[in-house]
Amino acid sequence: MAAAPIVRIRELSKIYSQGDIQVTALDNITLDIAAGEFLTLMGPSGSGKSTLLHIIAGIDRPTRGQCLVQDVDVTRLNESELADWRNHNVGFVFQTFNLIPVLTAFENVELPLLLTRLGARDRRQRVEAALALVGLADRMHHLPKQLSGGQEQRVAIARALVTDPQLIVADEPTGNLDAHSAQDVLKVLQLLSREAGKTVIMVTHDPKAAAFGSRSVHLEKGELMK
Amino acid sequence: MTLSTFILKNALRNKRRATLSVLSVAVSLFLLVTLQVALRELMNPINDEGSSLRIIARNKVSLAQPLPARQLAVIERIPGVAAVSPFTFFGGLYKGDEKFTSFAQFAVDPARCLPLISDAKIPRDQLEAWLADRTSCVLGRMTADRYGLKVGDRMQFTGQLYPCDLEFKIAGIYEGTADDRNLMFHHSYLDESLGNPGTVGTWWVRAASIEEAPLVTARINAAFANSSAEVRAESERAFVLGFVSMWANIKTLITGISVVVVFALLLVTVSTMSMAIRERFRELAILKALGFRRRELFAFILAESFGLAVAGAVIGAGGAWLLFANLDIQKLTNGLFLLFEVTPRMLGLAFGVAALLGVVAALAPMWSVARASVVQGLRTLD
Repeated sequence: MAAAPIVRIRELSKIYSQGDIQVTALDNITLDIAAGEFLTLMGPSGSGKSTLLHIIAGIDRPTRGQCLVQDVDVTRLNESELADWRNHNVGFVFQTFNLIPVLTAFENVELPLLLTRLGARDRRQRVEAALALVGLADRMHHLPKQLSGGQEQRVAIARALVTDPQLIVADEPTGNLDAHSAQDVLKVLQLLSREAGKTVIMVTHDPKAAAFGSRSVHLEKGELMK
Repeated sequence: MTLSTFILKNALRNKRRATLSVLSVAVSLFLLVTLQVALRELMNPINDEGSSLRIIARNKVSLAQPLPARQLAVIERIPGVAAVSPFTFFGGLYKGDEKFTSFAQFAVDPARCLPLISDAKIPRDQLEAWLADRTSCVLGRMTADRYGLKVGDRMQFTGQLYPCDLEFKIAGIYEGTADDRNLMFHHSYLDESLGNPGTVGTWWVRAASIEEAPLVTARINAAFANSSAEVRAESERAFVLGFVSMWANIKTLITGISVVVVFALLLVTVSTMSMAIRERFRELAILKALGFRRRELFAFILAESFGLAVAGAVIGAGGAWLLFANLDIQKLTNGLFLLFEVTPRMLGLAFGVAALLGVVAALAPMWSVARASVVQGLRTLD
């Protein structure tokens, strides 16, 4: 591993209880992820890869164990602290893009910045830079429905990086895209890792997509495969 | 973009639903304000100095039961009585072709009733003409204008309560009273037409002072206690309210309808807001993931709900205020209502109801958003 770990996971477990039935989604996971790394989490459906990603991103909580991101134990933050932490430290990219349909590409990307103290001019500069980085400077006033799937996902990536987070998490970001658009999106994520030094963690079950990452880890039935 | 812009865009994302929601609030609040105005006009008769002095004495058994004319001599000797006149509601149909005559005709003793209508302005020559001609009448300005009548014209009435038809010559037109709609004519003309029955409908009494009015009322009641024709004397205001109460418990009825309107409105608004938020549940989860806290999401929901309700109030209550201020309500209601005024209190009530609706309608969506985690929200989308 080239750099110091930005994410340190220790003996992490997640158990879902449904009445008397207990389902172990993650079983005693220990994992380090280096800063600037492009890590892909692979595994079949139900293997726990999305659950692990959600815990790292601070949108889910483990049953036990520790998850330190930039030395902050996200499992110990309360809801409000977590929201604040996510806004500053994590960028999300989802499979179904999840752009707000009534907002333009520019406004969608600007959304996380509304929670910061930046003025309108600074916000504009940041949004324009983020959209330029993903190659959509000329589409910023388009509504999501006026964009292709690949373009929508690139807007989502711009939204993920507009707050300049260290960590970008992507949950099957190419799952709804054709091969060509998927490649464009993966190249952008790769660029963010290689050129901008962002740590990218991507869930995928596609080996071709995983090939864009610098390292892959496999999960099976909630366990990390060595 | 600001947070306000974001809220506005969200609220208007489904324009048809937003419009229908605003209109449902508007129509309901328009109805609420209209009912409140109607209730106020019915329950709060005009209460000027003249009406505070006036006392109406009717048969204790029922308003429909006449009183003996001989009571006049007793009443006018009661201390504190400044004037007294018979006051009988004729209730005829004007021209005989109307189904409902909106102005009242009262048989009075013209000479005796002048102190009772001291606020009426009528030219002296017209007054003298009325006093001199037994078949003449004086007519309120509002009714004269409504029917295009002038001094010297004749008016025919078909009796509904009394078995006689009457024809009057308009001797004068008065104005300046709280209700310039009525027609007043000689009681002797009615007596003659009915074969001199020696009865009157009610007595119209003027007390010497406002302080004495309650005493006079009590004295009149006492004067005829245990007689063959006991009377019930009461202030003009109490009499009018008693008259209104004969329409059944109108206040309870209108209040009941108002409550139903508000409740139905609440169901509609809660349902609309719940639908709007349920559709956006995934987006709210995304907002949470992006760093929006619960309180910010609550504020979005509350602002949207509140905004829709208040927009409805502006259109509904504001529309009622504008409409009733510019409408000839007397003509529209065939004279049932003289005034139809939307008071600041009613506007306050409408906006208060709207604000409450906005808050209550937001509670359920806020609760579901608060309970759901980001992951639960994301699961609804994937």
